[in-house]
Amino acid sequence: MTDTFRNQVAELLNNDYTFGGLYATKLSGSVKAVFISPNGALKILECQVQSGEAPSIADLVPSNWDEREAHDLYQISFNGHSPLRPLVEHDPISDHWTVAVKGSDVYQIAVGPIHAGIIESGHFRFHVIGDRILFLDTQLFYKYRGLEIAAENKTLHEGKRYVERMCMGCSVANALAYVQACEEIIGYIPSAKLRILRTVLLELERLWNHLNDIAAICAGVGMSLGNQIFLVLSERIRRLNFSLTGHRYLSGTIDIGEIKPVLTADNIENIRSELESVRLRAKEAWRELIFNSSFAARLEGVGVVDTAQIRRLGAVGPAARAAGLKEDFRAHSTKLDYENFEAVIPENPKGDVRSRLEQRYLEFLQSTEIIFRLIRKTDILTDEETACEPKPLGIGITESARGRTLCIVEASEGRIERLHMRTGSYANWSAVAYAAVGNLLPDFPLINKSFELCYACSDR
Amino acid sequence: MHFTSITAGLVQLFGGLVASMLIPGFIQSLKAKLQGRVGPGSLQPYRDLRRLWNKSTVSVSNSTLTYRIAPSVVATSMGLAVLVVPVSSLGPNWGVGHDAFVLGGVLALSRLALVLAAWDTRNGFSLMAASRDLTISIFTETAMLISLSVAALVAGSTDMQVMISRISLFHVWSSPAPSLALAAFSLVVIAETGHQPVDNPDTHLELTMIHEGMTLEYAGRDLAMLQWSGGVKHWIMLVMLSEIFLPHFQNAYLQLLCLPLTVIAICIILAIVESTIVKMRLLNVPRFLGLGTILAFMGILALKVPS
Repeated sequence: MTDTFRNQVAELLNNDYTFGGLYATKLSGSVKAVFISPNGALKILECQVQSGEAPSIADLVPSNWDEREAHDLYQISFNGHSPLRPLVEHDPISDHWTVAVKGSDVYQIAVGPIHAGIIESGHFRFHVIGDRILFLDTQLFYKYRGLEIAAENKTLHEGKRYVERMCMGCSVANALAYVQACEEIIGYIPSAKLRILRTVLLELERLWNHLNDIAAICAGVGMSLGNQIFLVLSERIRRLNFSLTGHRYLSGTIDIGEIKPVLTADNIENIRSELESVRLRAKEAWRELIFNSSFAARLEGVGVVDTAQIRRLGAVGPAARAAGLKEDFRAHSTKLDYENFEAVIPENPKGDVRSRLEQRYLEFLQSTEIIFRLIRKTDILTDEETACEPKPLGIGITESARGRTLCIVEASEGRIERLHMRTGSYANWSAVAYAAVGNLLPDFPLINKSFELCYACSDR
Repeated sequence: MHFTSITAGLVQLFGGLVASMLIPGFIQSLKAKLQGRVGPGSLQPYRDLRRLWNKSTVSVSNSTLTYRIAPSVVATSMGLAVLVVPVSSLGPNWGVGHDAFVLGGVLALSRLALVLAAWDTRNGFSLMAASRDLTISIFTETAMLISLSVAALVAGSTDMQVMISRISLFHVWSSPAPSLALAAFSLVVIAETGHQPVDNPDTHLELTMIHEGMTLEYAGRDLAMLQWSGGVKHWIMLVMLSEIFLPHFQNAYLQLLCLPLTVIAICIILAIVESTIVKMRLLNVPRFLGLGTILAFMGILALKVPS
């Protein structure tokens, strides 16, 4: 039993499948792992939990966090995962969750969960010699809200509200992943018009996030001018969001099988002109930014995570692409409108802060082009819906601004039995800890900001 | 006492003890304007002082007298430094003289008090910031003392009043020495006042802090004293830069008249530098200040090598 599960995993990996996430269910008493084939098809492997034990696959796939979370929430111990450190349950004894770093001159610097700035709650424990980071232990989940469990036994429509409130920064990406999963369950295929609308909303979310992330990197090195310029641009997109949908963070715009009148004849022109103006200003600002040699000197070779490590840690999204991994789930999003989509990567992807910054800028340009293409064809399409066979389990995947976001919904009689959300941030936190190693302590805020992950997406 | 001397004394006391907080305030508001923000006005540091002064202080548990007295020691040594640094070639001797090396000692005393207090709190951030500050201070103090030595060699005295009057002479500038000292001291000013590219006074990122890190544990009146001391340090550095190292008039009245104009000009330059040049990597700071040391040392060579 144990071996068959691990063998199945190994076989899928041999066929170039990538790990999508692992979760436990109370009802069936099993652990399920999701795998994604190179062309975007999904496969679920299931393993029964026997007397509270399941085999660990953390040595085969990046399921470290998933297994620790399943242990803390469902009391499943994973054989072979040792030590199984707490993730959601916080242990007051730091030795239980930190990695021992011993030696003369080694000391620890503890940061957070309360920070000097307005930042979400996370505790970072740096093991350092002088100003050089030897190792970084992170402790998140300070504001774990149990939203997945709270959504159980709710109807599919009610469940969306829980998902939307997990994280405002990724509101559309999370809600869309959930809604796609629900539509699989009820057997609904969105019309071409709805597909376009959802794609536009997802890209608008990416636009403000990426501009905000560029501003954050500027703030990380004290480039206040660049910070201000990109903050203003990000704000302009949020105001555009407000004028289109009535919500700056686009919350409440995605619903199961429902089209909101966001794209009308008058505001299409509005979107086009505003985006063109933002794009022009961003291009100017970007040119000034990369020609500032003092700025460039801070970015090169800092916080490097190379392709091999990205694969090992299971990092996704802009962080993975900045290391040269041309993986973007938008290329496989059949339920959205991304025709002929190809992931962009920097010319010389090194996986450092500089590449991640450039990645954001390239994706910003790409997203504006996608929106320009989509709004041109809104009026020629009909909103003809089709149906397919209903299923008890639905999976939705979207590419958020942080990376691939996966939502699994198990339902019976229209009520949620299990909801699991694995966001891009959740997948990438291990890469942040890895990227810090060997760098200078004062460079960590910069490295952290080059990933710019949400805490809320993990503390869901 | 001569009338000029009284005027100079008043400028020295008023500028150093009262008006000095305008300098960081002015730089702040300029920076906000350069970024297209409204930002706080130049008087904001005074409002902060009033707010802090009315708040109680906080004592770290198990901390000792070292922590308690550090803000007073820092503020006192800064007050003393105001008396030591003259604003013109004429002026009262406050009984402490105007020796450049005394000033070096007074600045070192305030630094020592703050570093010991950081040690006393046993706060990881304070200690981290203190170790950075001490590391950087080795290079700052070297560059400062060597550039002051150039001025002393030109003037033939370590008395700063003599330096002011001697360096105001036209023929002195035919040697490259004063220009080299000026370049070196400019870098010292950036480092000592804690501006970019060495330190970022506005940051909220604990891990990148240098000077702010050491003061993290202080609140209320303690913090008010430390912030005032920061303003005074700006005054001392900018006065020395404009009166000793920059070309200036021989006449004491003209010196006093030009002082605010030069200080404003330096503030504008500091604000522009801080808006366009980002904070450098920590390990590059010694190299940056090492440049100052080399420039100042070249100044000494220029004076000593017979042509």
